[in-house]
Amino acid sequence: MIPKTKKYTLYYKNQNYIINTTEKRMGGILMAKVAVVKMPKSKNGTVLLKKLWEQRGLQLMAVPGLIWILVFNYIPMAGLVIAFKKFKITESIFSGEWVGLKYFKEFIQDTNFASIMTNTLGISLLKLVIGFPLPIIFALLLNEIRGTRFKKLTQTISYLPHFLSWVVLGGIMVSWLSKEGVINDFLVAMNIIKEPISLLGEPKYFWGIALISDTWKEMGWSAIIYLAAIAGVDQQLYEAATVDGATKLQKIKAITIPCIAGTIAIMLILQVASLLNSNFDQILILKNQINIERSQVIDTYVYQVGMTMGKYSYATAVGLFKSVIALFLLLVSNTVSKKFLGRSLY
Amino acid sequence: MNKKHKQMSALLMACAMVVSMTACGNSQEKTNTSTDSNTTEKVETSEGEVAEAVAVVEGDTPAEKAKIEDTGEIVPGWQQNADDKVKLSWYMHFSWFNTPWGENLVSKTITEETGVDIEFIIPAGNEAEKLNSLIASDTLPDLITLGFYEQQVNQMIDAGLVYPLDELADQYDPYWYAVAAPEKVGWYTQSDGHIYGYPNSSYTAADNEKYDNISSNQTFLVRKDIYEAIGSPDMSTPEGFKAAVKAAAEKYPTINDQPLIPIGAHEFTSIGCTSFDDYLCNFLAIPYEKDGKFHDRYTDPELVTWLKTFRELGQEGYLADDIFIDKRAQMSEKIAQGRYFCMLFQYTDLANEEKILYDNDPNSIYIAVDGPKNSKGDDHTLPNSGISGWTVTMISKNCERPDRAIQLCSYLMSEHGQHMTWLGVEGETWDYVDGVPTMKPEIKELLQNDRTAYDKQYGADSCYWMFQDNAMALSWAEPKPEPMGQLERWSYPYVISTSEYNMTLEADTEESDIKNKINNEWGIVLPKLLLAPSEEEFDQIWNDFMTKREEWGNQQLIEKQTELMNEAKVKLGITE
Repeated sequence: MIPKTKKYTLYYKNQNYIINTTEKRMGGILMAKVAVVKMPKSKNGTVLLKKLWEQRGLQLMAVPGLIWILVFNYIPMAGLVIAFKKFKITESIFSGEWVGLKYFKEFIQDTNFASIMTNTLGISLLKLVIGFPLPIIFALLLNEIRGTRFKKLTQTISYLPHFLSWVVLGGIMVSWLSKEGVINDFLVAMNIIKEPISLLGEPKYFWGIALISDTWKEMGWSAIIYLAAIAGVDQQLYEAATVDGATKLQKIKAITIPCIAGTIAIMLILQVASLLNSNFDQILILKNQINIERSQVIDTYVYQVGMTMGKYSYATAVGLFKSVIALFLLLVSNTVSKKFLGRSLY
Repeated sequence: MNKKHKQMSALLMACAMVVSMTACGNSQEKTNTSTDSNTTEKVETSEGEVAEAVAVVEGDTPAEKAKIEDTGEIVPGWQQNADDKVKLSWYMHFSWFNTPWGENLVSKTITEETGVDIEFIIPAGNEAEKLNSLIASDTLPDLITLGFYEQQVNQMIDAGLVYPLDELADQYDPYWYAVAAPEKVGWYTQSDGHIYGYPNSSYTAADNEKYDNISSNQTFLVRKDIYEAIGSPDMSTPEGFKAAVKAAAEKYPTINDQPLIPIGAHEFTSIGCTSFDDYLCNFLAIPYEKDGKFHDRYTDPELVTWLKTFRELGQEGYLADDIFIDKRAQMSEKIAQGRYFCMLFQYTDLANEEKILYDNDPNSIYIAVDGPKNSKGDDHTLPNSGISGWTVTMISKNCERPDRAIQLCSYLMSEHGQHMTWLGVEGETWDYVDGVPTMKPEIKELLQNDRTAYDKQYGADSCYWMFQDNAMALSWAEPKPEPMGQLERWSYPYVISTSEYNMTLEADTEESDIKNKINNEWGIVLPKLLLAPSEEEFDQIWNDFMTKREEWGNQQLIEKQTELMNEAKVKLGITE
């Protein structure tokens, strides 16, 4: 009888293996021989190419995305050189004299530097501490709703504001937040305040307004990703828990949250990395000259100085400064998460 | 099902790729061919017309050449080419410009007469952002209209992005010299002897002498019924002003159940608020120069006195938060409701709202009265646009048909073009009555009652104002009807010319950086000053601001401005 042989390749822990199996029948007994051979590392390249070739149909689909990233994310990075140069819009970005770190120094010595950084970090931290957990809680609550129709309706209503652009919504908000606006009417009617207050006219309210309006607008939308994660939790776990007599709250604590912890961790890492990003549209629309001391953030400042005053080099330097810090934050939060939660982006 | 799904998405992806690839290929081809045709065309036209052009025009500088009169000997370039249809793109540096080309009578007729069709390119948001990206990417449209005070004007000239108009005129359209005003050409001629942009709304010294009905749009407005109800008080002194505001607020605490806003203003921007800085300075007749030096008007003690007056009113609650927060949309809503008692405002900005008020109740309109005056009680000095005018229009070197562009400019600058843009088509919308061009009554009625419909149908009355010659239009202007007429007439006696002080600092220089910094700080400081809870605090903020300015190099800026001012005076012939 001719022995049947088969050959498999296996990639495991950064190493390629070849597995040779040989089957033989001897007097009704099946004899199998399995030989595992480590493949020499040098062949990695060819294996990769071979693998790519085998998957060419699928890989091809990734190509447009790669091109897109290359064109829109990597090539524009060359423009960062103007942060170190005296750039004039009438010349190419490669001409112009080198000025080194002049614009970075200028930004750090800028009289507005302290307040811009405080506002950017303050608003972002508020959004992180308060704005981040809310969609998770909302998703958990929504998941417990029994009636499907009511659940769907709630979800739809909650994410509707997401589809209004800040330009439109901002205009409405300015009216809502004014002394004669609905919010003041409501607060006065509820006896929370005695006299209407000009919410956008008092700098001290700005952070709160930024937080609440952003959370209100985006909570439903952000909850979708958690709802999707919850939907992916194995139902058998809940059934088993029910059999064991677990309460709703226990199920949430012991099953749902641990199961979506991965999603939460990744969203958290991304959120920390974008700590210096503020919601540009929102703040640009809601800021005015009297709340500016609490509303000017890096993004709006870059826009004001770079776009409207034409100081592109300075604005690029500020933007680069921001990106470097963001990268640092991303690396730190990812490492921390990897170490303590065992979850990370890469 | 799942597999089918995957197949579908793969197919879609493939389609998308094919489309994007072909799109790339196409656009490349297109640009290739267009550059080809571009070069050949240029050669042809320049060969064809140079000879006849140079013969006619004599003189050295563009301004001297422009002194020749329109004798009818020179054939306007636009008349020769009406059959050769071209389309030019025209960038307008004003996001609010919203009259399209080719839909109304005027634009249709211009296209018919000159053979030039126009496609407007208008920024959707911030203008500087749009123009800067057009410059940086070298995609400037054929014609560019922007305020003469914009730093991009000099940037484009220095980088050679725009054609010298005099060279184009020599080459393609000597008629341009016949319709260009020598004074304006002289003013805008650069140190290299060329002129790159022609102004609109520009008044020459002769115009200023000839007409006594030149108006300014800066007015001090009060709501008529309230003002009269409190006895039409004098509001030109700080005491009178305070008393009037208080009386008005007391007598009319609410308008239509909403609180009265005692003092209105233009929008507060990142560089200040024209109502409380620039306009107020003009009303206080603060001079532009002192002891031969450019005067920093915002630091004048007269202005400080009045800012303190406003601060006191603010402390007592007469400066509503609204004025610091509202954007244009909220403001016009409130004007239309008549919620402001008084304001330093550009009256041309509230024409529609005034109409609404007038229709509701002719007594609730805003009227112009004498506003804040300095301690000596001098008359207001409201600048007209002077020789610099308002915008300049340039022809970019990307223009494939500069010949047609310059001819179109000449057309619009000529008397015929002015008739067209101000009055419309002769015989259809206007006729000569006793030798004066006069708009037909029924058309004038539409203009007064429904400007939007008028623009859509006719598009005259300087709907296309890129070359508007306001002085020429005065020669056939009729008194403006009420309620706007009073506002315009009120400003006549106070109009002055300030051409020598209209200057633009060169971009990317130390001085322009200093000025930007100071302006930005002023934008933050001004509301703080007005809202300061006490006079001590006001002084504190003010002194801090003064120290900061000096630290940033204010002296250097003033020296530069003095230098530019003196240059301008020489150019205007005020000094030798």
